[in-house]
Amino acid sequence: MTEPILRLHGVEQIYTSRNAAGSGWSTVRAVDGVDLDVREGETLAVVGESGSGKSTLAKLLLMLNRPTAGEVRFRGRPLAALGPADRQAYRRQVQAVFQDPASSLNPRMTVARMLGFIVRRHDLAPPAEVRAFLARQLAAVGLDPPESYLDRYPHQLSGGQQQRIAIARAMMLRPAIIIADEPLSSLDVSVQAQVLDLMRDLHQATNVGFVIISHDLGAMEAIADRTAVMYRGRIVEIGGAIYARPCHPYTRLLLEARLSLDPRRGRIRAMSAAARPEAVAAAAGGCRFRGRCAYAVDICARAEPALRTVGTDGTLAACHRAEEVGAEPIAI
Amino acid sequence: MNASPVLLDVRDLKVHLRVGPVLVKAIDGVDFQVRHGECVGIVGESGSGKSTMARAVTRLMPNVAIGELSGRLTFDGRDILGMPDAELRRLRRGRGFSMIFQDPLGYLNPTQRIGRQIGEALARDAGAGADQARIRTLLDEVGLPDPANIARRYPHELSGGQRQRVMIAIALASDPQLLFADEPTTALDATVQLQVLQTLYRLHRERNMAMAIITHDLGVVAELCDRVYVMRAGKVVESAETVTLFENPAHDYSRRLIELSTRRHTRGAGA
Ligand SMILES: Nc1ncnc2c1ncn2[C@@H]1O[C@H](COP(=O)(O)OP(=O)(O)OP(=O)(O)O)[C@@H](O)[C@H]1O
Ligand SMILES: Nc1ncnc2c1ncn2[C@@H]1O[C@H](COP(=O)(O)OP(=O)(O)O)[C@@H](O)[C@H]1O
Ligand code: SF4
Ligand SMILES: [Mg+2]
Ligand SMILES: [Mg+2]
Repeated sequence: MTEPILRLHGVEQIYTSRNAAGSGWSTVRAVDGVDLDVREGETLAVVGESGSGKSTLAKLLLMLNRPTAGEVRFRGRPLAALGPADRQAYRRQVQAVFQDPASSLNPRMTVARMLGFIVRRHDLAPPAEVRAFLARQLAAVGLDPPESYLDRYPHQLSGGQQQRIAIARAMMLRPAIIIADEPLSSLDVSVQAQVLDLMRDLHQATNVGFVIISHDLGAMEAIADRTAVMYRGRIVEIGGAIYARPCHPYTRLLLEARLSLDPRRGRIRAMSAAARPEAVAAAAGGCRFRGRCAYAVDICARAEPALRTVGTDGTLAACHRAEEVGAEPIAI
Repeated sequence: MNASPVLLDVRDLKVHLRVGPVLVKAIDGVDFQVRHGECVGIVGESGSGKSTMARAVTRLMPNVAIGELSGRLTFDGRDILGMPDAELRRLRRGRGFSMIFQDPLGYLNPTQRIGRQIGEALARDAGAGADQARIRTLLDEVGLPDPANIARRYPHELSGGQRQRVMIAIALASDPQLLFADEPTTALDATVQLQVLQTLYRLHRERNMAMAIITHDLGVVAELCDRVYVMRAGKVVESAETVTLFENPAHDYSRRLIELSTRRHTRGAGA
């Protein structure tokens, strides 16, 4: 198999901050030992618990964070050891789209200035044609009419419009891979569909790959070649068939928590007013999902399960009982 | 059909915003009502004016160049548009209305710990000791594990979904009669989303808290809302009971919205 474009090996990211009394430090293990290959041209979805380290993983892939342990490689070379030329190539080839479009756009620049700057720096269009070039980029992400957006500042755009600008900016350089952190969450379903189509088209035309972080399981099922599921700093399952055959109990729980689209059958309204969500105990030692797991047995308290091959379709899961979990139909 | 009296009454609201020489008609003549204890959904295209409406109704419109702001806006019979700021602040803090914003980072104070920010939003009657317990309960209710630890952190030390839950806790702190929520659960994973929606629904029922929820996710509407408004280009193009909207959408855009969502929920229930 060809070399992965990005490879993580034993990567850890620990955040340290001062506690309120100022008397000590508290640490958060945001990413806690992740091995991951991102293949050239693939669309890899990253889903999972809120706070499980997905955005931190994106920052590591983008060289915005330096891992506290482990290594990130770009086309076989450790990021920490890239020379100036390789670093430049990396910066052009690996692009980002962030979760919060408002904060990723410069509030003091109009769209035309912000994007025009990149066009000139990378010589993407002759000076006289910059505006026309930019208008085409905005049209490609569904902003219509594109010219009317060029002279706006970010705060003069809706959340969805801001996100489309951010996507246009990332795609302008024709990168090899785009790391997108919740690129869909501020878009309505019709624009989401447009953006997903746009990603597919770009992939067809240029073989660009994507790492997409999202909470939208339906959208990821539709677009991803493989999906990684994160829980408390770890990848607990990864594969191409997790929606049809989840092998980790957390993946199963996620899929079963999807909302109903039938107003006559909604389960929240059916719930009695007094019902409270169950408290989740934090598990120390053993499997980190144990406190919430319906499958837990003795061994789960003693040994932390490693990510391992389950079945024959290339799925990896970190669960002692993955085979049994995968064999059960999904209860929806 | 909810026959309680109208709590929030919006008539012919217009919010026109200035973008240089151009006037953007973000809201262009909208009628909108929420009854006591009712849950209303607002759906619509990106840029259709949903957030602008929420901000106008709660009168939270920082650094916006307003070209025109007109219409009639009343909450519990009181005129909001003409209300002095001091009275408005009282309304926000004591059993009035709260707002959950789409972009939590923009509305949390980056230099203050989470616990303090929630404390400041608490309805004023509680004492200091009770406050700490209340803050922890609120964090717990929005599904944040280890509330004592979260309370000590700064906003930038939280993930997007955690920040979103903090915003919800702040909004609930004043025990509002009306909660206006702009995309309250988009940054949350499915299990946490379910938990947060259950909490909102429970408070809605227990405290008779009315809710207006802006969302792109028709699942949220199907699960929670009694009625829905569909917006497009600054106008309400359809308003209907939720069941009617799903089973018999009148407007083209509503139909397309339902079709696209259904296609995506391939394995979802009921679809
Ligand atoms: N401060 C502003 N100045 C000028 N125009 C604005 C401003 N804020 C929003 N707009 C414009 O008003 C319209 C409505 O924006 P709004 O943010 O209310 O949309 P929305 O329905 O919430 O969209 P989204 O779902 O993408 O957030 C858009 O055309 C937007 O570009
Ligand atoms: N700058 C930071 N300082 C301290 N803790 C942080 C920081 N950023 C994120 N965290 C913590 O790291 C964990 C993972 O965060 P993140 O990667 O943003 O999660 P996700 O994107 O999956 O929601 C969370 O527990 C979060 O609170
Ligand atoms: S290892 Fe045990 S506790 Fe962990 S997910 Fe599997 S069955 Fe559940
Ligand atoms: Mg995140
Ligand atoms: Mg909005």
